[in-house]
Amino acid sequence: MAEKILEIKDLCVEFNTDRGVIRAVNGVNLEVYKGKTLGVVGESGSGKSVTALSIMRLIPSPPGKIARGTIDYRGENLLEIPFDEMRRIRGNKIAMIFQEPMTSLNPVFTVGNQIEEVLELHQKELSKEQRRDKAIEMLHLVGIPSPEKRVTEYPHQLSGGMRQRVMIAMSLACEPDILIADEPTTALDVTIQAQILELMNKLQKELGMGIIMITHDLGVVAETCDDVAVMYCGQIVERAEVKELFNHPQHPYTKGLIESIPSFDSTTGERKDRLPTIEGMVPSLFDLPDGCNFQDRCNFATDKCRGSEGEPVLKSIGTHHDAACFHPLS
Amino acid sequence: MSEYLLEVNNLTKKFPIRGGIFGREVGAVYAVNDVSFKIKKGETLGLVGESGCGKTTLGRSLLRLIEPTAGEVFFNGVDITKLDADGMREMRRKMQIIFQDPYASLNPRMTVGGILAEPMEIHGLFKDKEERRKRLLQLLDQVQLPADALNKYPHEFSGGQRQRICIARALAVEPEFIVCDEPVSALDVSVQAQVVNLMMDLQKDLGLTFLFIAHDLKVVEYISNRVAVMYLGNMVEVAESHELYGGARHPYTKALFSAIPNPNPNVTHDRIILEGDIPSPMNPPDGCHFHPRCWNATDECRGSYPPVTEESSTHAYRCYNPNQLS
Ligand SMILES: Nc1ncnc2c1ncn2[C@@H]1O[C@H](COP(=O)(O)OP(=O)(O)O)[C@@H](O)[C@H]1O
Ligand SMILES: Nc1ncnc2c1ncn2[C@@H]1O[C@H](COP(=O)(O)OP(=O)(O)O)[C@@H](O)[C@H]1O
Ligand code: SF4
Ligand code: SF4
Ligand SMILES: [Mg+2]
Ligand SMILES: [Mg+2]
Repeated sequence: MAEKILEIKDLCVEFNTDRGVIRAVNGVNLEVYKGKTLGVVGESGSGKSVTALSIMRLIPSPPGKIARGTIDYRGENLLEIPFDEMRRIRGNKIAMIFQEPMTSLNPVFTVGNQIEEVLELHQKELSKEQRRDKAIEMLHLVGIPSPEKRVTEYPHQLSGGMRQRVMIAMSLACEPDILIADEPTTALDVTIQAQILELMNKLQKELGMGIIMITHDLGVVAETCDDVAVMYCGQIVERAEVKELFNHPQHPYTKGLIESIPSFDSTTGERKDRLPTIEGMVPSLFDLPDGCNFQDRCNFATDKCRGSEGEPVLKSIGTHHDAACFHPLS
Repeated sequence: MSEYLLEVNNLTKKFPIRGGIFGREVGAVYAVNDVSFKIKKGETLGLVGESGCGKTTLGRSLLRLIEPTAGEVFFNGVDITKLDADGMREMRRKMQIIFQDPYASLNPRMTVGGILAEPMEIHGLFKDKEERRKRLLQLLDQVQLPADALNKYPHEFSGGQRQRICIARALAVEPEFIVCDEPVSALDVSVQAQVVNLMMDLQKDLGLTFLFIAHDLKVVEYISNRVAVMYLGNMVEVAESHELYGGARHPYTKALFSAIPNPNPNVTHDRIILEGDIPSPMNPPDGCHFHPRCWNATDECRGSYPPVTEESSTHAYRCYNPNQLS
């Protein structure tokens, strides 16, 4: 069993909005292991980014607030350590790649300067020249052509794919213990996505980092993750080892997500007549029902699901397989 | 009458790049370059390729929302590139377009009823208030929105519902052909499946013909009868959907489809990881534009652009050294 390096327990994050307080993350438990990738999937608004930002202690406050929970990183609760210490961990031990690289790259500094700045903060022993060499080496590592030239360029001079790779180079410049990748390839073409996922995989093997891969693409999950957590309305509704989750989904929402991926029987060339869908839509966080949040879209809902016995909680239903459902599918 | 609704011959769109104080033309982007294809009545032709390869430009050129630089577009046998403004306005009734961002393309200050009625008013499609109302309710019903949507504003709807409004607006003028430019790309998986089903139902019920552009290759493959692949302004291959995985002849098609992450963790498939980025469209490589990234490239490929090889009535490609089929 790999070493557990991060454990999130009962995380609750709230936002104050003009329509009232919403609980964007509600009682989330997650574990990250050394050298392993944990996938977090779910539709937009399900609380994936807020969970990630909580680990980094980057929840904007106000309006946000971590209302409850612990985030244990190698024996320390990240939510309680002093701010200075958190700053040292951030980008050093725990790094994050954001979906839109342009918002996290500084437009007025060259790509080289930005990587060097990270190195200056985290590897103080390096000289100026050594930092430049290391920046070029990092750009080369992430597959940027002619890195000696690119290192002097500004973010806007690069293509979207290259900017994302620069972000990855920056995140990896300090060889982090944990890499949080928030939809790292959603904005990219599949060919570039394949390059980047392969690169992350290679670096993970070399550095042994734990990865949290946030995505809504189940293809990316199937190909990159060891374990998966499925989020819905701020809660984890199912988690399991990746093959187990795809082969034996227990929560009706997970099953619906897997089935709604267009698929084609390439042996016969027949397409399914209709795509199976999950009817309806995600309820508003302002107006969650009693009982199970998925009840209005679920074909298996009973009175129990509508609140007579409270909310379904995440329960073990097999080896390393948990689901929050009163009537798991089996 | 021919079985083809649309027949496109040698379509080209060149965007000039101007520079200097006199705004002289200093270069050009061939966003669409010498593209020919046909779409049958009732058929869906998918259009895929990496961003910037010319999909949107091609889609809009077909409706002359962008004026093509050269080429012909026959719609029901009429070359629409030769039509004058009046003729084109009449033709637009038959040719509609749906965009990716359902919010940006809906006027936030108009009710859904107003938005849907506008195109019908322009074309004088109803006689009186009663007919207008009947038609609006029918449109909402077709896209499975409730009747009370008529008096609401776009911001009161979710992304998937807004895309339904855009679809209803396109249907309002009873078109025969719709260019769908990334209509489900901004939607979540479960909502995407709902909209895809809706579009396929509408196609069947109304006999529509689609050009369906998307960067999600799985969706395109699913919804299309045939799929066309573009690279740097050129159409490099057209094939039936089910041929794209196993039967691709163009190396780029093969690489593109092998890059799709497979949502089945039980199988691993061989992946071709393309090296490098797409070259600049302002300055594409000589000969076959794909040669710097192609593992089959020979000297011939660097010399001139490969001609079209028609393998069958539904499958064509442009490549000197196509993949051998096993
Ligand atoms: N700064 C904020 N202010 C108010 N609400 C927020 C803020 N950030 C996130 N939220 C809300 O929290 C919920 C979860 O958001 P997020 O974690 O970004 O979802 P995901 O990443 O899964 O798409 C959403 O309902 C979102 O509107
Ligand atoms: N109005 C324009 N002026 C100049 N270049 C343009 C214009 N519109 C598109 N282009 C260029 O044409 C090429 C094709 O663009 P587009 O059709 O939008 O591609 P896609 O839809 O496949 O992403 C790109 O290189 C783009 O930069
Ligand atoms: S608890 Fe009930 S409503 Fe919720 S997912 Fe399970 S069966 Fe469906
Ligand atoms: S023509 Fe040559 S370079 Fe172009 S795709 Fe075919 S083999 Fe590759
Ligand atoms: Mg997010
Ligand atoms: Mg486009």
